[in-house]
Amino acid sequence: MRSPWSALGLAGFAAVVFLWSTPILWMMLASVRPESFGSLDMASLVPDTVPTGDQFRYAFLDGDWAVWFTNSFILVTGTLVVQLVTISLAGYAFARLEFPGKDVIFYVFLLQLMLAPPVLIVPNLTTLVSLGLYDTLVGVMAPYWGSAFGTFLMRQTFRAIPRDFEEAALIDGASWGQILWLVLLPLARPGLIAFGIVSVVFHWNEYLWPLMVLSDPGNMVLTVGLVSFALGAEGASDWGLIAAGTLLVVAPLAIAFIAFQRQFVNSFMSTGIK
Amino acid sequence: MTYIARIATAAAVVALATAAPEGASAQERIEFMFPAPVQGKLSREMQRIVREYNAAQDEVEVVGVFTGSYDDTKIKSQAAAEAGKPPAVVLMSANFAAELAMNDLIVPIADIAPEGTDLDAFLGEFWPAVRPNALFNGELYSVPFQNSTPILYYNKEHFAEAGIEAAPETWSEWIEAAKALAKPDGERWGLMMPSNYDYNGWLVQSLAMASGGSFYNTAYAGEIFYDHASTKAGLKFWRDMVHEHGAMPEGVTDGKAVSTAFFAGQASMIVLSTGALSFVRENATFDYDVAFIPRNVRNSVPIGGASLVSFKGTSDAQKEAAWKFISHLVSPEVIGGWSRFTGYFAPRQTAYELPEMKEFVANNPDALRAVEQLEFAGPWIATFNTVAVRKAVEDEMQALLSDPELTVDEAAARAQKNANEILAPYVAETAYKF
Repeated sequence: MRSPWSALGLAGFAAVVFLWSTPILWMMLASVRPESFGSLDMASLVPDTVPTGDQFRYAFLDGDWAVWFTNSFILVTGTLVVQLVTISLAGYAFARLEFPGKDVIFYVFLLQLMLAPPVLIVPNLTTLVSLGLYDTLVGVMAPYWGSAFGTFLMRQTFRAIPRDFEEAALIDGASWGQILWLVLLPLARPGLIAFGIVSVVFHWNEYLWPLMVLSDPGNMVLTVGLVSFALGAEGASDWGLIAAGTLLVVAPLAIAFIAFQRQFVNSFMSTGIK
Repeated sequence: MTYIARIATAAAVVALATAAPEGASAQERIEFMFPAPVQGKLSREMQRIVREYNAAQDEVEVVGVFTGSYDDTKIKSQAAAEAGKPPAVVLMSANFAAELAMNDLIVPIADIAPEGTDLDAFLGEFWPAVRPNALFNGELYSVPFQNSTPILYYNKEHFAEAGIEAAPETWSEWIEAAKALAKPDGERWGLMMPSNYDYNGWLVQSLAMASGGSFYNTAYAGEIFYDHASTKAGLKFWRDMVHEHGAMPEGVTDGKAVSTAFFAGQASMIVLSTGALSFVRENATFDYDVAFIPRNVRNSVPIGGASLVSFKGTSDAQKEAAWKFISHLVSPEVIGGWSRFTGYFAPRQTAYELPEMKEFVANNPDALRAVEQLEFAGPWIATFNTVAVRKAVEDEMQALLSDPELTVDEAAARAQKNANEILAPYVAETAYKF
């Protein structure tokens, strides 16, 4: 049923979409413009020049992209894999096991969410130095291996699963490990995927902490590398170069998101995270 | 799950491989942290200088570490020092050195230089204007590496069009020129100056110095002169450009927006750092020139830029290596090459005696103008808690640019009051402690 209202709604929706996508559209356009330092028509959203790959060529010349991509990839996978193990086990314990002080411990655990990460920079660095993990990718990952948010999320996810499944498995003689691995985790997939997205996006984009821990150029990650393009303390910025570099950084996540959009949206719907 | 397990194993293997210590060597390995002051090109050039140095000798191995902005560099080097990994050499914003020395985080240069080094003679080879920021309580704590002053860039084509023959030399000429060059409705601005944090305070200081002020007490870190006539004249000049003369856009303008407007022909005069000289030279497609910052009472500008410092807590061998590398970086050849590459002036006077430098300055009169202005340059604000004290006046300057109702007296009084509160603990510990 089409009414003038729904057409109006659609137009309003399109306007909002356009507004939100303006920076991305502009970035894509700026990255293929021959003029990089700002001319009168630099701000235009209309493609009025012959596209050129120069900015990408400069971006590749300026940056050590292979190293940065590899390190960022290792960083997000290494963080996520350990997180998935710890949050599943901790989430299961808080959801299903009975032990004294369970609630208190859980709330203390949640308090972690209230600490602003920059406060922990120096204490965490000191710990890393004494563990010999300063200037290593493992050192960047380590503080995130116990995630309060993930534990909370998995606890809620497990609690939403009816106990009947576990009891059926129990009657068949399954141990708690088997119940977790064969029954609960498959049912908790939407929760795991939702957490995975949040974790990957956060660590892919994180700047300050990797900057603090890493020193060796061979350990550098994408975000820190990109900043060497984007800074303009004394002069001005090379807009085209920044746009090209930023596109390269966001490309893997954007492509992954577009490819798996359906699964992602489904998993967010069923966990209730937005 | 086996898939994830495979990734985990692969990740662990690669991570361990990257984390593995490199083979032992007789070389002394030191870290050199540097920010990227302009763009990726500079960061690459700096890495090239480091590689060249490593290849040329085998006593010291320098690891060049890119550390983001000036502020990030300060945070990272301080955090690393507190965690027990003090960096041996850091390129630090020139006015942070005093504060780092005050907090006992960096060592005097005398501690890393070999015994018997004549540091007075060493410092004597640097321009007088850059010396005060290198000293703290009379002792040398930092070695200037790249320096700048504010300078006026102007579009000669616009000047010809408006019938102005020469660059303005006094503030009244400056105001007249800005008014004549501006076109209505923001089609073209007569003058633009960056008013984002950091740049803002630097330019307020420049205007205050041009009005005869010294802006802060160069001999005592607990005093700032925001409600003095000289600073107020600077605040008024900048504010009036917007609200009285309509020759400058309202609100806060970023440094990037200023240069972008200049290149696009939307601003006829801009004030930027001399550190942007190469950048402007490469990107201006019209006839432009540079001139001294016009005088109100006198010609005077603050210096800016960065100096090399060494953090406390390094081993003797690292200190020795740090001095060797610093000496190399500030040698006339290297510092001159960096100056030609970036547009910063070389703080070491002797660099200008080299033939390649003489030739460069002869071919680029704008670079010469920047050096000539040094005769009138003074030190850059460095107090207790410099950044917070600087922000006290920047917030008011930004408010003045946005709000036509706010008076200069009100703004200056508030800036002074807020700055005094920030300085109070230091004053209590020093001047009042008897």
